[in-house]
Amino acid sequence: MSGRTHIFRIIINAAVFIILEVAALVMLTHNGEMQNIWISKGIHNVQSFLWGGAENIWSYFTLRRQNDELARENFRLTNALRRYGPEALRGTDSDSDSAVIGGYRYVMADAVKVSNNKQHNYLILNKGYEDGIEELSGVVTNSGVIGIIDAIGRHYSYARSFKNSGMVVSARIGKEGPVGEIMWDGMSSNGAVLREIPHHIVLHQGDTVYTSGFSAIFPPDIPLGTTGEATVVNGSTYNIKVTLFEDFSSIRYVTIVSNIDKEEIQELENADED
Amino acid sequence: MKTDRNFTLTYILLVIAQILICNFINTGPYVFLSILPAAVLCLPLGIPTILLMIIAAVTGLAVDWLAEGITGLNMAALIPVAFMRNLTVSLLFGEEHVDRGEGFSMKKNGVVKVSVAILVCQAVFLAIYIIADGAGTRPFLFNLIKFAISLVCGYLISLPVVNMLTSDKK
Repeated sequence: MSGRTHIFRIIINAAVFIILEVAALVMLTHNGEMQNIWISKGIHNVQSFLWGGAENIWSYFTLRRQNDELARENFRLTNALRRYGPEALRGTDSDSDSAVIGGYRYVMADAVKVSNNKQHNYLILNKGYEDGIEELSGVVTNSGVIGIIDAIGRHYSYARSFKNSGMVVSARIGKEGPVGEIMWDGMSSNGAVLREIPHHIVLHQGDTVYTSGFSAIFPPDIPLGTTGEATVVNGSTYNIKVTLFEDFSSIRYVTIVSNIDKEEIQELENADED
Repeated sequence: MKTDRNFTLTYILLVIAQILICNFINTGPYVFLSILPAAVLCLPLGIPTILLMIIAAVTGLAVDWLAEGITGLNMAALIPVAFMRNLTVSLLFGEEHVDRGEGFSMKKNGVVKVSVAILVCQAVFLAIYIIADGAGTRPFLFNLIKFAISLVCGYLISLPVVNMLTSDKK
């Protein structure tokens, strides 16, 4: 008997077996009340298992779309909170990718490429000058400062990451505490150093560090991280270790923020320097 | 031809015997006696599996209808026995038995091998029968005890049946 005939015979036998067994089970369900309930329960269990499995597979393949929708929703809610607080969560425009709030223009963007393992890291974002992006705009999330836009293309922009040895951001301990400058510690993925904090200040470990708003790039009160161990430098200021909130390895959705009055502020600064 | 006729007659008589066992012998809740697995095991090896399953289905259905039982119960339990009969015989007695349609007997193949074949067929039949009969309402321990006792009793009453059905095929 050839292999193919043998397999064909096995398939036929299995098919007839299944048909006869199904016939027997149908007779059982029609003649035994308990068997009817038992078999119905079994069928329902199989159905729910199959439907649940199919649902899980469908959910898995639609995760990307759901993520995009959630990011858009998150952006809308964040903008509403920035503008008015919780009262504004009703009736905001959910379709727009940008919003102007409190002197800053916010544009939602996707990070299409992120460099994380170098001393000079960068991000490529999917918004360019056609989307109204300008150089020296900030890149933020709800969990911290991500970087600064350095170069702009038509549809994409290049941002210098906060994880960059030369990048410094003005920061404040608490919402009304002393102001210093925060920079990446150059070693860990979520470590930073807050410098220039006056020596006379009483520090508490675990205090939240926010952006100060003392720059033309980042708006105030974006939480950055929590304070840790402090060391005195030159007998006059503290260097404080900060554990950042943002996980740079999983950045996907960001907000590009630009100060509408940036040019006016820079002109004033330039006039003062002249 | 005469042998075939004798076998068919014996097989029908065994089915009637099974109907009588179901109707008139009260074995209690822990024992279920059946000679049908042994009867299916001893059907001629030349019969194709499909026909074997149909014979088993008809046999099970006849017992279900004519004995006090739920229609479909014996049928559902006996079809798998028929489905795996050739495989069981191939594994225990060698593939040539199935290929040549050669019969087996206790004298030719030994009591141990035939006993294992009976126990396998009885076990498959009883497992399905007891689970389907209980329909999830009886505790596992009850089903297990019933299975074990019925397997032993079924084996004991199947030995003479197998001996009778296979002794003519020398």
